Amino acid sequence: MAVVETINLRKVYMLGKVPVEALRGVNLKVEEGEFLSVLGPSGSGKSTLLNLIGALDKPTDGKVFVDGVDVSTLNENELANLRRKIGFVFQFFNLIPRFTALENVELPMAIAGVGKEERRRRAAELLETVGLADRMNHKPTELSGGEQQRVAIARALTNNPRFLLMDEPTGNIDSKNAYEIIQLVKRLNREKGVTIVMVTHDQRLAAEATRTVHMLDGTIVKETMNKT
Amino acid sequence: MKPKDIFFYAFSAIKLRKLRAALTTLGVVIGIAAIVALLSITQGLQVAISTQLRRGFATDTLIVSAGGGLGGGDASFSLLVNDTQTISQIENVTTALAIIQRIGYIKNADGQARRVTVVGVDFKAYKEVYSSTFIAENGEIPLNPENTAVVVGKRVSDPWSNGTIFCKAGDTVEILWTNTTARPLRNETYTGNVVAVLQEVGGFSIGGPSDTSIYISIMQAQSFFGTDKCEMIIVKLKSNDKTTIESTAKAIRSLFGGQVTVTSATAVLNIISSVFSTIELFLAGIAAISLLVAGIGIMNIMIVSLMERTREIGILKALGMKNRTVLLIFLTEAALIGLMGALIGVGTGWALAELVVRIFSANGGVGFGVRQGGQAALAGGIAITPVLTLTVLLGAIAFGLLVSVVFALYPAWRASRLKPVEALRYE
Repeated sequence: MAVVETINLRKVYMLGKVPVEALRGVNLKVEEGEFLSVLGPSGSGKSTLLNLIGALDKPTDGKVFVDGVDVSTLNENELANLRRKIGFVFQFFNLIPRFTALENVELPMAIAGVGKEERRRRAAELLETVGLADRMNHKPTELSGGEQQRVAIARALTNNPRFLLMDEPTGNIDSKNAYEIIQLVKRLNREKGVTIVMVTHDQRLAAEATRTVHMLDGTIVKETMNKT
Repeated sequence: MKPKDIFFYAFSAIKLRKLRAALTTLGVVIGIAAIVALLSITQGLQVAISTQLRRGFATDTLIVSAGGGLGGGDASFSLLVNDTQTISQIENVTTALAIIQRIGYIKNADGQARRVTVVGVDFKAYKEVYSSTFIAENGEIPLNPENTAVVVGKRVSDPWSNGTIFCKAGDTVEILWTNTTARPLRNETYTGNVVAVLQEVGGFSIGGPSDTSIYISIMQAQSFFGTDKCEMIIVKLKSNDKTTIESTAKAIRSLFGGQVTVTSATAVLNIISSVFSTIELFLAGIAAISLLVAGIGIMNIMIVSLMERTREIGILKALGMKNRTVLLIFLTEAALIGLMGALIGVGTGWALAELVVRIFSANGGVGFGVRQGGQAALAGGIAITPVLTLTVLLGAIAFGLLVSVVFALYPAWRASRLKPVEALRYE
């Protein structure tokens, strides 16, 4: 069974009084253990797709299934619980500035009600996995863009998510650090079997994934397998 | 999310904007301090007045005076000294004593005169009724006084409270009053002996011993003032419970055919207490307005905070935080500010009350004179000690907390309702 499946997904935004069709019927399946990239220019609807898969937004029409569960049938509390099983990585990192790297990684576990000791232990472990063992007690402002994104990836992994959703994860990072981030993501996918959906407008970055879907004007126009 | 973690999260958000949190807290502090200060001063004043009243006007006594209350009664009706005998026979009455009093003068051996209230009483009965205040500091109060015996109040003996004695026990003095009903006016005098100086009574009293009066025997008063009429009869009862007081008062009124007014200390105390309750409510109401302003301050700050942290709320929701938890975090922040403000406010209010009382005291008193410890007392001055009851203390803290949380409800609700995808997009 696919981890994520969308059926004829449509999303219409109201831009002022003008309706904008961001998605015009997207059918997509993400299999367990897969590294999928969604490639498209800005405005192609790829971020909208990501938000819908991540249960951050509701579709105008169509369905999203996560682990076979129809997301549209869930209430606010159930959605919150579902989001705990999804790891988000954003372009602008979205760390809480007043918390240290360690505390930021602890946060999803605190939200899920995990005890302090257990949280500390697991957060430290994950920061080590992303190569930040010596930067744990630094605040985001004291970290480089690449380091911040690693913290964000560690944070996304805390609750053993069913899949990672990455929205332009290297969009705000210099090329050297971007390379390292993508190597980390690939390693997570290969070694730890983490399912990954990554949205990007960067063709080279998209090619790092095992499969790429190409989006344009709210629809999937092409699908390619990449040799890795 | 565990309550402890919610608490720490809320606390970290407050810590981030220290000055802003401090200023918001200050609003609560001022509101609570105003309430606490006003209430503790008013309650202190009430306690002081009630205590003085109880001292000068025992709760188990009734005061009978001529006149059937407002506008009623026969103007020619007067109470007589020997009416005490009939009153004594009423059930529950232990003692009835007549008081004759005139404004007169006392002249010492040096020929200096002081204006005083000359009170004629039965020393023995008076001592029974006012056992805690009709007490000699110097000399001895005779139970069967000679006609010349004079007991003087503390302020008559030591008028300036500085040890310059006007007269003391053992002195010979001249008592003088002007008979205004005689034609032509006539000054009456006699020579008396000061047998005792009373302890300081302080405050004021109705019927009871006073620092500025002198006391002579009732027999002497009758012959000196040439009258059998008395100004009032003080009745001591077997108990001070409400039914005894009411039934006896009624019996006395009917004995004199409604021509007398019977006043009970308890009734006066009740009136004072209800007056003070009204004043307290009024003052607390005014102070509560300032707390309301503080509440609006909290609401304002929470809305600003909500806007600043929209993105943060989006992150929290993306990480799986429930709406209820977001609501709780915002309410906890407000509650922390409210609690901190309330605690500091109670302390500040208490200090303020003490300060105000001291300033009043140093200035010699405004309105009600205030006397502290060994300081000179003004005639009629009373000492106020601010009273902070547990009810006021806990009530103020609870109120501060309540106002803070109530005003945070709307911003907190709005924060909890933010849509994650919109919140995340917010710049």
